[in-house]
Amino acid sequence: MAAKTPKRYPETKVLSRNFDVDKAWTFDVARQRGAYRSLEKALGSMTPDQVIDEVKTSRLRGRGGAGFPTGVKWSFVPKQTDKTKYICLNADESEPGTFKDRYLMELDPHLVIEGCLITAYAVGASMVYIYVRGEYPLSIERLWGAIEEARKEGFVGKKIAGRDFHCDVVVHSGAGAYICGEETALLESLEGKRGHPRIKPPFPAVEGAFASPTVINNVETLAHVPWIIENGGAAFAKQGIPPDPADPRSVGSSGTKLMGVSGDVQKPGVWEFEFGITLRQMIEDYAGGALEGRTIKAVIPGGLSMPVLTGDELDVKMGFDDLKAAGSGLGTACAIVMDDTCDMVQACENIAHFFADESCGQCTPCREGCHWMEKIFHRFDAGQGTRSDLDLLENLFRQIEGRTICALADAAVWPLRSIVRKFRHEFVAKMSPDEQRAEAEARSARQPAGVK
Amino acid sequence: MNPRAPAAEPKDVAPRAPAVVPASFPPAELKATCEKILARYPTKMAALLPILHEAQAFGGGWVSPELEAGVAAYLDLSPAHVHGVLTFYSMYNTKPAGRHELWVCRTLSCWRRGAPELRAKALDKAGCTRTGEVGEDGRFLVKDMECLGLCEQAPAIWLDGVAHANVTPEGLEQLMDGCE
Amino acid sequence: MSASSSPEPVVTINGTAYPYEPGDTVIRVAHRHGIDVPHYCYHPSMSPAGNCRICMVEVVGSPRPQIACKMACFPGLSVNTDSDLAHEARADTMQMLLVNHPLDCPICDQAGECHLQDYSYQLGSGRAVTSTPKTKLPKNQPFGEQIVYDAERCIKCTLCVRFCEEITDTNELSMGQRSDHEQVIMTSAGEFTTRYSMNIVDLCPVGALTSRDFRFRSRLWFMDFVPSVCTGCARGCNVTVGARMGKVLRLEPRENQDVNQWWMCDAGRLGYKHANSATRLGVPAVRDASGAWREATFEQAIQAASAALAEHRHEERPGHVLLDGGATLEEMWVARQLAAALGGEARFAAHVGDDGDEFLVVNEKGANARGAEALGLARVKNAADAGAAVLVIERDEHVPADLRAASGAVVAFVTDASHVPDSVRVAFPFGSFAERDGWLVNVGGRVQRLLGTGEAGPSAVQPFQAVAQEILLDLDAGHDVLDDAALETRLRAAPGLADLVWPPASREPAEVSS
Ligand SMILES: Cc1cc2nc3c(=O)[nH]c(=O)nc-3n(C[C@H](O)[C@H](O)[C@H](O)COP(=O)(O)O)c2cc1C
Ligand code: SF4
Ligand code: SF4
Ligand code: SF4
Ligand code: FES
Ligand code: FES
Repeated sequence: MAAKTPKRYPETKVLSRNFDVDKAWTFDVARQRGAYRSLEKALGSMTPDQVIDEVKTSRLRGRGGAGFPTGVKWSFVPKQTDKTKYICLNADESEPGTFKDRYLMELDPHLVIEGCLITAYAVGASMVYIYVRGEYPLSIERLWGAIEEARKEGFVGKKIAGRDFHCDVVVHSGAGAYICGEETALLESLEGKRGHPRIKPPFPAVEGAFASPTVINNVETLAHVPWIIENGGAAFAKQGIPPDPADPRSVGSSGTKLMGVSGDVQKPGVWEFEFGITLRQMIEDYAGGALEGRTIKAVIPGGLSMPVLTGDELDVKMGFDDLKAAGSGLGTACAIVMDDTCDMVQACENIAHFFADESCGQCTPCREGCHWMEKIFHRFDAGQGTRSDLDLLENLFRQIEGRTICALADAAVWPLRSIVRKFRHEFVAKMSPDEQRAEAEARSARQPAGVK
Repeated sequence: MNPRAPAAEPKDVAPRAPAVVPASFPPAELKATCEKILARYPTKMAALLPILHEAQAFGGGWVSPELEAGVAAYLDLSPAHVHGVLTFYSMYNTKPAGRHELWVCRTLSCWRRGAPELRAKALDKAGCTRTGEVGEDGRFLVKDMECLGLCEQAPAIWLDGVAHANVTPEGLEQLMDGCE
Repeated sequence: MSASSSPEPVVTINGTAYPYEPGDTVIRVAHRHGIDVPHYCYHPSMSPAGNCRICMVEVVGSPRPQIACKMACFPGLSVNTDSDLAHEARADTMQMLLVNHPLDCPICDQAGECHLQDYSYQLGSGRAVTSTPKTKLPKNQPFGEQIVYDAERCIKCTLCVRFCEEITDTNELSMGQRSDHEQVIMTSAGEFTTRYSMNIVDLCPVGALTSRDFRFRSRLWFMDFVPSVCTGCARGCNVTVGARMGKVLRLEPRENQDVNQWWMCDAGRLGYKHANSATRLGVPAVRDASGAWREATFEQAIQAASAALAEHRHEERPGHVLLDGGATLEEMWVARQLAAALGGEARFAAHVGDDGDEFLVVNEKGANARGAEALGLARVKNAADAGAAVLVIERDEHVPADLRAASGAVVAFVTDASHVPDSVRVAFPFGSFAERDGWLVNVGGRVQRLLGTGEAGPSAVQPFQAVAQEILLDLDAGHDVLDDAALETRLRAAPGLADLVWPPASREPAEVSS
């Protein structure tokens, strides 16, 4: 198929190296392809601190949405403690539009487990809980299968790879709650409670699962670790977008990333790229671009929880800092595309409903505010919205953002606020004629003289 | 190439067994499983979610008050705690769940790709007016679900624990017709 | 208290530095120094939930307001509770709380003591809350026999749930559902195992939990409230008694960290029914020649009582005065004098249960049994020892029918007319705990003030001390009549009493720690 850009941005198969391989989820095939070699290397020739240093050198950033440097997070775990330390693998993947972790778990579960075990070795954990959303039964099945195989082969349990390292791995199935992807809600849920996020501090690294030090990372984050151990952190850091030399605090976006596209495109899917491909390249060259006869109106670049970019704003590099600079965020790097047939008011209602539905219900602004917003969007859709409702919405965004225990409420505000601002005209178009007239007058009053 | 991860391996679509009220929890069939689950965690409470999954499967797709009380007693938890957990998570049912359970994803990607039509079709075929209810013939419980993680194959539905992707209203009709 | 030389760490609140202890949160330090920080989900006795977001304060140097209830103090921390940002943040939260709140204040029992009302007035609820349809949730759900839950009024602060988890460890409640359908749920059994359940009604910052006993009985602003103590057992939980038009309407615990913290038991709370009995004796009564009861004035009755007692003394029957174990020190003191004049002694009787627990309820039910013992009063345990000339009875359980019948008393001071035994010829009304003033000694040896209100019973009831001393004057012209102030002076100095823990001398109730 003819690509629009002269040179197609290449896929880089690091995490996805086994995706095309038949039955790579079985031990024999995976092992043949190198599974557990990095674990053996780490256990055989590296100290835990060396592992952490290697990951720090790689500048690997969390793939679960927030992009926190992984090696730094590990180094917060206290070294001296009598408590059992835990690794919790965040495989809740409930972020809408996001399905990348599922590919890893279904197609290469041994890679996931190996990443967990190396992490456990690095921080001194003896137990790994993989918290998989309940809606992923195949992931659960494949992970359990892989764990039992690995146990038989001596890679899970006592004396792993013949070394003095003991660590068990358990798959814990969620039961349908987006909020349980939030790390502290995940811990509550793991402990058998309602998924109510905890107030931080204390941070999980100090007091996490069962009040013990716990590392929580995304599936994709830890799936990167075997490669980093095998090839060195420096090799990983060479890939992707380097840190901004002008900014000493910049971490850049190193390595590769599973990225996906869904929604109004020809060929939705997931691919692995080095950071740096533009959103447009990904959508047009890999996802086949807009559907026949349509144009792209808006894209949320990573999941549902980030501000939208309009069809004109797609030439931005997929990277933590680039997307932030563009007024959005990388999120899960799984983009949701909306084309010109999409009614943005209804899209807002749909998005607000999601967050309202998934709010854990603890904090007043989130519990009440998300529903309130949904109701206002509904009113707009019914033709009863007013200009003051738009002001009210802006007010609510301000009242909700940053006022809650966890970031779900912020995640609700960001896409909605960006849509309301960038597509105000669609809201106005649904107002009564009087309101529309008032809006037009206010607009022309704002225009400098002579400009039509 | 972009391989499609299979959402789930096809299983027979069989109607659920009717709800059984066990004399005590865990019933003999689940004893070994429950003990295995308990052994995985440092606290009994942590076994609650997995054991509720087992209880729901055993109970024919829902957790009856009797099962709920049994689980609470088994895990030394207050019945209120168990009920609180049960009603927090959308995969658990606290009311009879019909012979088949159908989830229709309603979130953005599926919404863009035809979820509303699927939902309408599902409700119509199931003979219910609202989601979350079982139709009069007791065949289907239709539930609205948030993103099922199958967005690249939207619109997605689940029927009795099996995912179906790229579903058309006609395809859904066929699927539902295949259910007793 | 410490002699350490390093300066105490301080936090700055509204520009003033205040010392704090390790582990202190901003709200604790603020409250300790009388700085108001509104709060719903915070309670000093429980782990912070941080969910209501009403306690937000400005942190100097940060654009984001923070919750004071969960914010740990650290050196250099400076917050403002009174700045524009803090006010705005709270007003925002208020608006959110009200958007789904059914504004049924006119029929809500909490009206008048609702923190939602309070703060919304304080914060100025002038902001428009648009007419979005409100979320429908269950109303009128029974929580046990005594409590009714309204999920629409509930602001999901989880105080009630945490109470049952952290204070009583009985776990009858949990939050259920999620999102805007989140609500409090109860165990399927639907009964509380804790005997302290009704504290959640007081804890509830809004009118979501109401007491069936009190629901719709009265608007608060018509009631009279007095700070007093519960006389249900010898713990002597500090309470506020609410009464109106001759009836006790409710008891609520009042904080006293040394006695009951913030709580009271359900039995104590509901243990006021005898005060409202349909058979309350409201005026004195004297038997006429035929043995029939006739209403009398106090004067007439005092005369008749003096005569009867003089006759009784003459007959050389036991001249004891048998008191209810809930009688006050003043009453016991005067009873002792009266008994002496009759050639007997003051004695008391009080029920002893077997239901004491490790929290508040104690086996000793005589609210002043400890005081009686301190005064050297003998305890009457069975009918054989019950002989007396005068009975003083508030509660049936303390001086039950068999003791009353066996007493052979001729004069009785009773709360309930049905407690007058056949031998009695003159009966005086005796105020319930809610009408009498006086000192009680609890199990821990604390002397606490029982305070009455005229709203709580028949208005004609005269204090026992006054009536008994008039009788004494009749029997013994030399008797030196003491008013309550004079009695108190004597009591404070009395052997056995002087060593007890007395509140500072004043006519005010036992100190109320805030
Ligand atoms: C509402 C909410 C939902 C989240 N869901 C997920 C999720 O499904 N998967 C995930 O890995 N991280 C999720 N996160 C982020 C986690 O809290 C956490 O930052 C992440 O697991 C850390 O791992 P990382 O550093 O490897 O990214 C969520 C965060 C929030 C606030
Ligand atoms: S922000 Fe929302 S989801 Fe997060 S803790 Fe608060 S109520 Fe729960
Ligand atoms: S019932 Fe009252 S105390 Fe309980 S959560 Fe609701 S508002 Fe809070
Ligand atoms: S513990 Fe005793 S004093 Fe306290 S409320 Fe109960 S009965 Fe009254
Ligand atoms: S939006 Fe339907 S599966 Fe993700
Ligand atoms: S009182 Fe602080 S959040 Fe509720």
